[in-house]
Amino acid sequence: MISVPRPHSLQRRLGLGLAFGVTLLWLAGTVAAGWILQAEIDKVFDSALQEVTQRILPLAYSEVLNGDPPPAGDGSANRLPSVLPHREQITYIVRDSAGHVLLQSHDADATIFPATPRRGFQTASGLRLYTEAGVQGTLFVTAAEPTRDRRQAVIEAAGTLLWPLVLLLPLSQLGVWALVRYTLRPVLVFQGEIEARGRGDLSPVNATALPAELGPMAGAVNRLIARLQRALDAERGFAASSAHELRTPVAAALAQTQRLIAETPDGPPRDRAHKVEAALRQLSLLSEKLLQLAKAEGGGLLAEEPQDLARVLGFVLDDFRSDPDLAARLHLALPPRGVLLSRMDADAFAILARNLIENASRHGAADRPVHVALTADGLFRVTNDSALVPPDVMRRLKQPFERGATRAAGSGLGLAIAETIAVGAGTSLELMSPIAGQPSGFEARVQLPEIVGPS
Amino acid sequence: MRVLLVEDDPILGSAVRDQIAADGHTVDWMTRLDAAGDCVSTVTYELILLDLMLPDGRGLDFLKARRAARDATPVIILTARDQISDRIAGLNAGADDYLVKPFDLSELSARIGAVARRYAGNPNPHVDIGDLTIDFAARMIHRRGEPVVLTAREWVLFEAFVQRPRALLSKAQMEEQLYSFDAEVESNTIEVYIGRIRKKLGHDIIDTIRGMGYRLGQPKRTIPE
Repeated sequence: MISVPRPHSLQRRLGLGLAFGVTLLWLAGTVAAGWILQAEIDKVFDSALQEVTQRILPLAYSEVLNGDPPPAGDGSANRLPSVLPHREQITYIVRDSAGHVLLQSHDADATIFPATPRRGFQTASGLRLYTEAGVQGTLFVTAAEPTRDRRQAVIEAAGTLLWPLVLLLPLSQLGVWALVRYTLRPVLVFQGEIEARGRGDLSPVNATALPAELGPMAGAVNRLIARLQRALDAERGFAASSAHELRTPVAAALAQTQRLIAETPDGPPRDRAHKVEAALRQLSLLSEKLLQLAKAEGGGLLAEEPQDLARVLGFVLDDFRSDPDLAARLHLALPPRGVLLSRMDADAFAILARNLIENASRHGAADRPVHVALTADGLFRVTNDSALVPPDVMRRLKQPFERGATRAAGSGLGLAIAETIAVGAGTSLELMSPIAGQPSGFEARVQLPEIVGPS
Repeated sequence: MRVLLVEDDPILGSAVRDQIAADGHTVDWMTRLDAAGDCVSTVTYELILLDLMLPDGRGLDFLKARRAARDATPVIILTARDQISDRIAGLNAGADDYLVKPFDLSELSARIGAVARRYAGNPNPHVDIGDLTIDFAARMIHRRGEPVVLTAREWVLFEAFVQRPRALLSKAQMEEQLYSFDAEVESNTIEVYIGRIRKKLGHDIIDTIRGMGYRLGQPKRTIPE
């Protein structure tokens, strides 16, 4: 079995693509902002570190010159005490040119500072260091700040930038969905218009509201539909001409045979003429049905203007009523106002109705009524008394040249023609046995398409 | 009844003509619309049988032209076009009936009778006159319960009187009913047919209006002894 890939949705693709693009751009923006932030924070922090170091240098020099011993309490003779307890972000040490520590801040760890002081900035062991020298290169102050603080600041700032994405993503998805839906609405309408076209409806699609990009496509579709319509019209014209050309000689042969029967006395020649007449009737019936089938398959089963199908049904029944026996069996029920407007083509409905009534009168129980009903909501039903039709036979009845358990004469095409017309007009033919709500009988029903207004 | 048949197919046309003639009517058969136009301008027909597709035009246009000229002659369309829309167009153009080819000749005869009766103002095929019970559809007459057989021409002539019971029919009108253009008419033919009808249905069934023509009589019902 060949698997057919599911066609993708343009709307879904556009929605997902745009949402993904927005997310990606936002993330790239966040990364770029983080990178710039990192550089700016480094600049500011470096400046602060430099300022602190340069400010400490004269103070440290004064301290060293005065030779004031540092206050006791921290166990370190050259460690300066803190005024109030706090976590020290910036630590510093003061060293001589030989690298001896002369002073240090209260949290400073001398081991993390490079052994040999060098002027300027350095980064080592997770620290940002700045060294300033004074007193002709004999006194060095080195301040240190952990780089993790800077990194933390950048991460927090970037995290703050990422938070709106949580709200932005669904909002942008919603916005994109709404925008795409709004933009694609004419396309969806166009899609619906094309989907509505079929064998029964070949009217041009409405392309007035389409965007400029799709206008040419609608034009091409309409040109294609017009070509198809012309081809089908030609086919129907051919079927109609064939019907005319075929019927006239058959009518002539039948009429001459009937005159022959009328003018010939009883005997073998007259019997033979009767057989010719019967064969001509059969030929006439079969050619009629084949032409009806050709018409049904030729399309054009929906009219441009609504048709009064109740009136059409009246004409069809008039044909059957020319047979007095059949006239007595036929019972017609029409909508209350006697009018039913539908877009189904009048000729197509006449063929459908004729075949269903023929089927009921030929294959239904003899001398029992045939009920023909057309309701205001467009349900067309033909019911007749009959024995139950087995389900397996019911399934085959709509196929050409299939017949139920009947000995009545017929072409075997009537229900196939009715089915073809119903499907071509966008509806379906339902066959039931027994009749709904009854123990037996046969029912054929068609919900007529596109009923117009209250009948 | 005088009938104009407009049909271009020679095989079908001859069979239809023979059928109508066998029913006792007079038929003028034309295969073109221009010839049919000449016929209706010179003769009064009781019925026109009209094909729709003719060599020199459409039968529907001919029909519309006749109706526009206030010609109310009944028209039955004989056509191979079976579409319901064609039928509606035909009836809207003023046709009285529509018969799709191929058709039974007996069906054609029945339709001709029905249209003729409808135009005569009495669509009921059953009529009682005095002792006579007449079934126009079955072409049967019973006189005091006994069947009476009329020939086709006697029947047509008698039917013309019954359909217009108060009308005075001249000898010329009756000859027009009985004979087509190409038939030769004997001078006393009508008198012969009137005599035969009186013999079969009773002398007072048809009154003679001296010097003018004939009219349906008013026979009295015989009371059974």
